[in-house]
Amino acid sequence: MKKKKMVISQETMDVDFVRKVEMLSDTSVRRCFQCGKCSAGCPMATFMEHPPNRVVRLLQLGQWQRILAGRSIWYCASCETCSTRCPNKVHLASIMDALRKLSWDAEGASKESYVQLANKLFLQNIRSYGRQYEMRLAAVFNVKSGQFLKDLMLGPKLFAKGKLKMFHSKNKNMAEIEKIFSRIDDMRKNGEAL
Amino acid sequence: MTSEKTLTYAYYPGCSLHASAGEYDLSTRELFKALEIGLTEVPDWFCCGATPAHNVDELLSLSLCAKNLELAEAVEGDLAVACASCFSRLKFTQHTLVENATKRTQVEKALDAPLKLDGKVKHLLDILARDLGLERLAAAVKKPLTGLKVACYYGCLLTRPTDVPNLDCVEAPTIMEQVIEAVGAETVAWTHRLECCGANFTLSRPGVVIQLTNAILEAAKAAGADCIMVGCPLCHGNLDIRQKEIEGVYSTSYNLPVFYLTQLVGVAVGLESAKLGLEAMIVNPLPLLKSKGLL
Repeated sequence: MKKKKMVISQETMDVDFVRKVEMLSDTSVRRCFQCGKCSAGCPMATFMEHPPNRVVRLLQLGQWQRILAGRSIWYCASCETCSTRCPNKVHLASIMDALRKLSWDAEGASKESYVQLANKLFLQNIRSYGRQYEMRLAAVFNVKSGQFLKDLMLGPKLFAKGKLKMFHSKNKNMAEIEKIFSRIDDMRKNGEAL
Repeated sequence: MTSEKTLTYAYYPGCSLHASAGEYDLSTRELFKALEIGLTEVPDWFCCGATPAHNVDELLSLSLCAKNLELAEAVEGDLAVACASCFSRLKFTQHTLVENATKRTQVEKALDAPLKLDGKVKHLLDILARDLGLERLAAAVKKPLTGLKVACYYGCLLTRPTDVPNLDCVEAPTIMEQVIEAVGAETVAWTHRLECCGANFTLSRPGVVIQLTNAILEAAKAAGADCIMVGCPLCHGNLDIRQKEIEGVYSTSYNLPVFYLTQLVGVAVGLESAKLGLEAMIVNPLPLLKSKGLL
């Protein structure tokens, strides 16, 4: 293999993208010195192609396309162990949020579709009903992801224990919630929020 | 000293407590009634957005939580939250909006209202351990949980995020142990108190949850625990509802009942099984409680 010299500069870093991530996450990407403590404690690192410290490294090297195209950001459980243990106070869990948002806005940039589908249905439920109705969420997820039999055996057991409800008390504030969603949509259209 | 004043709270149950975690809701209401603590549900609360909202849309997450904080202001008392995830999000939102003027302006615009953000957000553990106090809690005990070995499982969100004023120490909390020891139980020292169970991957990637949750059950068993105690409906769902499935996948047997903290404290203050929703638990806790003479 031919050895390539690695050059790090403002250009290779893609400062514009890093700034966007830093603004959304309210933390510093540049402060990370790669001690790896985040990945050591991460319960999800074994499921990721790029463990947390490497996600930050790729950002520092301007290779953010590789992160957005991959699964790692969607396999983060948001448990915040990384942020808790970082000696440089890099809030990595918030960086993951920012990266997911940027990937989400780019629509389907990542290969991980199940987690994105679950998130989408969860948010749709809030907009339509104000609250989460677990049975509906699970049923629609199974249909839309084509896994009709997933967790089928759990259904009757949960139903018998009163854990799956067919009817819920309806929220009387529904007009309020729709207003919040549409105001946020408008702010984004007008460039007032990311 | 808060000794004899009456305690009363606004109550945010969250979505899970109105469905799969009905027994957490029931046992919270019954326990608070028994301890003479007032609890009024915030009318028409919304979903806090939980993990999916902040995962892809922080502004939406902050706005939903801020709306709930605003609704809670109409009810007397600090805000009592049962679910660790709702608790973490509500607390984080309050902290972020106080600290970050830009985000606050955006959220105020989304809600079309100025924000006060001065109410206190408290987890049930905080109320039992500090507002009521361990002494008064101990004084209310009718059936001390003597001989019951409990593995207190905090999960990830109860003490996080780290930079927000906390329920307890973020890496070595003791508040759960304090509460359950105050009512007579024994606690075990174990390795997985703060490890993540995989939480909401239970819907999208159950394989992940099975692997992570198995490690937690295995550690609790190895430490000699009779049962696990939690303060989060997602942890509970993964540890209790998926336990049989996990035993099958790993060809092992745990048989560890998973209690909500309000259920175990409820047993100690003498509440009967029907008021604590013990029958709703998937891993049957009745044989264990009977063997310890607690039912």
